Amino acid sequence: MSRPSPAPRGARSQRTRSASRLRAWLRHHRAMSVDSTRRLLRQPLGSLLTMLAIAIALVLPAALWLTLDSARLLDAELDASATLTAYLASGVDDGEAGRIEEAIAAQPQVAHTRLVTAAEGMAEFQQALGLADALARLDDNPLPASVVVTPVDPSPEAVRRLSADLGQLAGVAEVRLDLAWLERLRQLAELGRRVALALAVLFGLGVLLVVGNTIRLAVESRRQEIEVVMLIGATHAFVRRPFLYSGAWYGLGGGLLAWGLLALGNQWLAAPVRALAASYGANFAMPQLGGMGSATLLICSTLLGWLGAWIAVSRHLAGIRPR
Amino acid sequence: MIVFEHVGKRYGGRFEALANLDFRVRRGEMVFLTGHSGAGKSSLLRLIMRLERPSRGRILVAGHDIARLHASQVPFYRRQIGVVFQDHQLLFDRSIYHNVALPLEIRGIEPREAARRVRAALDKVGLLHRERALPIELSGGEQQRVGIARAVVNKPALLLADEPTGNLDPQLSADIMALFEDFNRIGTTVMIASHDLALIARLRHRTLRLREGRLVADEEAA
Repeated sequence: MSRPSPAPRGARSQRTRSASRLRAWLRHHRAMSVDSTRRLLRQPLGSLLTMLAIAIALVLPAALWLTLDSARLLDAELDASATLTAYLASGVDDGEAGRIEEAIAAQPQVAHTRLVTAAEGMAEFQQALGLADALARLDDNPLPASVVVTPVDPSPEAVRRLSADLGQLAGVAEVRLDLAWLERLRQLAELGRRVALALAVLFGLGVLLVVGNTIRLAVESRRQEIEVVMLIGATHAFVRRPFLYSGAWYGLGGGLLAWGLLALGNQWLAAPVRALAASYGANFAMPQLGGMGSATLLICSTLLGWLGAWIAVSRHLAGIRPR
Repeated sequence: MIVFEHVGKRYGGRFEALANLDFRVRRGEMVFLTGHSGAGKSSLLRLIMRLERPSRGRILVAGHDIARLHASQVPFYRRQIGVVFQDHQLLFDRSIYHNVALPLEIRGIEPREAARRVRAALDKVGLLHRERALPIELSGGEQQRVGIARAVVNKPALLLADEPTGNLDPQLSADIMALFEDFNRIGTTVMIASHDLALIARLRHRTLRLREGRLVADEEAA
C-alpha cells in the first residue's frame, strides 16, 4: 500500500482552499448585488429621487461638453475653409491678373488659387447684395480683380506669414485675411472648455455628496446589523460591500436618467437649432453622445456613486465600534 | 486558553474598571465570572473579544498576545470566539435560519455545508422547527437560544456569554446553562458572566469573583 506523499496533497488543499475562498467571495458579491438591488426597489420613490438628483448634476456638464464638442467640429470646418484674398492693383487687366495668379500659385505655401476678375467680382457683389440697379448705374467697375488663395497650412501663424509674402508681390495691392473672428471663436471655445471642466468637477463632487448622504442614512439605519456582524468577525470589506453596490446602482441609475434627459433635450432643441443654422445657410447637426460618449457617461456616474458610497461607509466604519 | 497577566483597564485616564487581574483559564474549562453590576465583568469580556485593549498588562488567548493583533487580523481572531449577549443581538429583519447562518456567511462557507451546520445548531438548541420564523415571533428564552445557536454554529474553541440568563425565569435559565454545559462537555472552553449566584452555586464550576475591578476570589469547583 502506498501512501500519498504529503507535499502534493498539501499543495492541492492549498489550491482548493484559495479556489473555495474565491468562490465564497464571488458568492458574496452576487448576494450583495441582488440584496442591494432589492433594497433600492423596496423604496422606489426615494431611490428614484436620489438618481434624479444625480442625473441633474450630470446633465449640465455633459450638455456643455457636447456643445463644445460640436463647436470643435465647427472649428475644424472653419480651419479647412480659411482663405486669403489678394486684391490686385486697380489698373491691372485680366491678362496681367492671370499672370499674377500663376505667380501666387507657384508659392510653396499655396494649395489652391481662384482668380476673380473685376467683372466676376462685380457680378458676385450684385448677386450678394441685390443692388443690381444701383450698381448698374455706375459708369466704371470700381472693383479690382482678386485672387482667392487657399493656404496649405491653415494655422493662424502660417496664414499670417503667407499674407505678408503675398503682399510683397508686384501687382498685389492688399491681402485680406479674416482671422480675428476665428481667433476669438477659438478663445471662446477654450474658455468654454475650462468652464465645462470646472463644472464637471463641481457637479462630480455634488454627485459624491448626494450618494454619500444617501448611503450615510442607509448605514445609520443598519447600524445594529453592522455592529453585530463586526462582533462576530466580519471584515470591513464585508461590511462595506452592500453599500458599495447601492452606491454604484445609484450612480448607474443617475447616469441612465442623465442619458435620457440629454436625449430628450436634444430632441426638444433639434428643430429650432436646425432652423437657426439654416438661416445662416449652414448645415448644423445636433451633437450626439454616441456609443463612446454614452459609455463614458455611464462608467463615470457608476464610479462616482461607488466612490461616494466608499467615502461615506469608511467614515462611518471608523465611527462605529461595537458596544 | 486565556491568560491574564497584570491586566488593568482605565477609561478616560481616571476611572479604573479593572486592576491587576491575574488568572488563567485552561482549554476545555468552564468558568463563571460573577460580581455586582459594575464590578467589571463586561469589561473583562470586552477585553477578551478585543473590543478594547488593556491599559496595562498582557492578555494571551490561545497563545497569542491579542493586543498585538493588527486591525485587519481582528475579524479573523473574533471568528474563533462564539459570543452570546444578554440582549441576544439578533437581526430582526431576517429569519432565525439566516440569523444563525450569519457567522458562516461571513466566513464564506459554502451554502449547502452552511445549511447542514445551521440545522445542527438549531437542532441542538431545540428550535429546528422555527427556522423560518422571525426573531420577533419568538419568546425571550427562545431568542436567547437562537443567540447561542449563532455563537456555536462556527464550532468555536472559546464561548463567551455575558449575562445569558439575565431576563429569564429560573427554569429557562437552568435550561440555558445546561446547554452551555453540553458544549463544554464536547471540549469548548466556556466563560459565562452572570450575577445569578444561586444558579452558579448549583452548577459547581470554577468561579472568578470580581469586586470593583479586582479579582477577590477564584474558587475551584467544589
